[in-house]
Amino acid sequence: MAERQSEAVEAVDVVHGGRWPKETLVSLVAFAILWHFASMVLPPFVAPSWARIGKSLLDIAGRPDFIAITVARVGVALIVSFALGTAVAIAMFRWDAVERYSMPLVKLLMAVPVLCWILFAVLWFRLREVRIAFILVVVCAPIFTIDALDGMRGVSKDLREMVRALRPTASQFFVKLILPATIPAILTSWKVNLSLSIRVVTMAELVGATSGIGYALMQANETFSVADVFAWTVVLVLILMLAQMIVTGVERRLLVWRE
Amino acid sequence: MSASGALHDIHVRGLRKVFRQKGSGVVVVAIERLDFTVERGEVVAIVGKTGCGKSTFFNVLIGLEPPTDGSIEIGGRTPYGDFDHFRGRIGIIFQQDRLLPWRTLLDNVTLGLEIMGLPPAERRARAEHWLSRLGLDGFLRAFPGELSGGMRQRAALARAFAVNPEILLADEAFGHLDEVTARQIRGQFFDMVRDEKKTAILVTHQLEEAIETGDRLLVFGRPATLLADLRLEAWKPDELADLRARIQATLQDNQPDPQLIRSGETPR
Repeated sequence: MAERQSEAVEAVDVVHGGRWPKETLVSLVAFAILWHFASMVLPPFVAPSWARIGKSLLDIAGRPDFIAITVARVGVALIVSFALGTAVAIAMFRWDAVERYSMPLVKLLMAVPVLCWILFAVLWFRLREVRIAFILVVVCAPIFTIDALDGMRGVSKDLREMVRALRPTASQFFVKLILPATIPAILTSWKVNLSLSIRVVTMAELVGATSGIGYALMQANETFSVADVFAWTVVLVLILMLAQMIVTGVERRLLVWRE
Repeated sequence: MSASGALHDIHVRGLRKVFRQKGSGVVVVAIERLDFTVERGEVVAIVGKTGCGKSTFFNVLIGLEPPTDGSIEIGGRTPYGDFDHFRGRIGIIFQQDRLLPWRTLLDNVTLGLEIMGLPPAERRARAEHWLSRLGLDGFLRAFPGELSGGMRQRAALARAFAVNPEILLADEAFGHLDEVTARQIRGQFFDMVRDEKKTAILVTHQLEEAIETGDRLLVFGRPATLLADLRLEAWKPDELADLRARIQATLQDNQPDPQLIRSGETPR
């Protein structure tokens, strides 16, 4: 789990914090130039020109509702996942029996491929929004649970003893020690789940949705418009970068003591 | 005056602590038997070799562990059984500072006061008083990670004193600091203990530190039994070298020295 988290943090570190190192700019500009030359020699349905992609981006700017719908789906699902996942983690932390019985189920949920959840959602639910929310929550909530529980369990014995020796109530012990000590793990979990949920929501929207970026991508695919696919992909990446920057800003504010 | 309004003697009676190791199931005797009384206002140093059960005794004394047999009583109550009763009555300084890294020094010192339910203004006033007394008034908003080990340990002292406890306990509290810093902070600790007329127990593996600081010295064998119990004021400065040698020999033999046991206390 820790390894997975560190990989995720490393991946988002490239874009977070508003820092654009020289290497990032060079590689992006090099990619743009290569694409430009590719668009000159390859047919437009393989590598459309930047002008065509720019036109698609302008068209997308005229459809902010699709962006807003996808962002809203992700936002609501992540908040529900966080509340549910953290509540389960707290119950597991508080009662060993809850952990013994619930952990196998949480691990089972995490082992099921996203595609299977999409198929289950289509079979089980009629309402499209319920399907999408179910898929996102069932994928993201277990990650919040595992990460939050790891964070709670990771509080050092020294600090536990010190606070216990002050004789707090159970709720004081949790609020004054366990919760603040778990914040770094929870923020890492948010970063991982933001990235994951953007990818999952587009897949979920591909199946059965009539709005959102995933639906728009499907339409672009049906009309063989690589420029539109490329433009929507750029939008998705920008949304993820913006969201990661917000989480990083929150992280800097909450974890100022680590700097 | 302490939070309890009164000071009490600490009675250790027939105390025994046995652990069963997880996994192997091997039984480990940490405390063989301890019987002694610490009188109110006494400053007692407990010395023993590493692994002799001093820290186990410390954890039983503060109520984090139950005794296997026997008891520790303070004012007719036991720190483990009457856990909540001792909120704000025992101040503890641990081996490391154990400050919460996400809290400023001020907020670390107010932690015990928050748990006691004191109003914010009083918490702040008390914390500022003790941080100032320990020379940290310029660092109220600093995080522990920004400070030296000595400054952090002084903040840990402030946290212990701020609750105005009846008893102060220090477990190897200065051993991790360099000699000069340790001597300085230890001096501050015992000056404050004596100024505030607290009962204090210092647990250490350093005989020199124990002799320098305590009014009374308890020597623990391994597993913890009482090998020696003496009032240091009864020893003249030119006799201390002899005393050190006798205690070293006692620790080496792990046998009680009848001449170093106060009358009325019977080591087993």
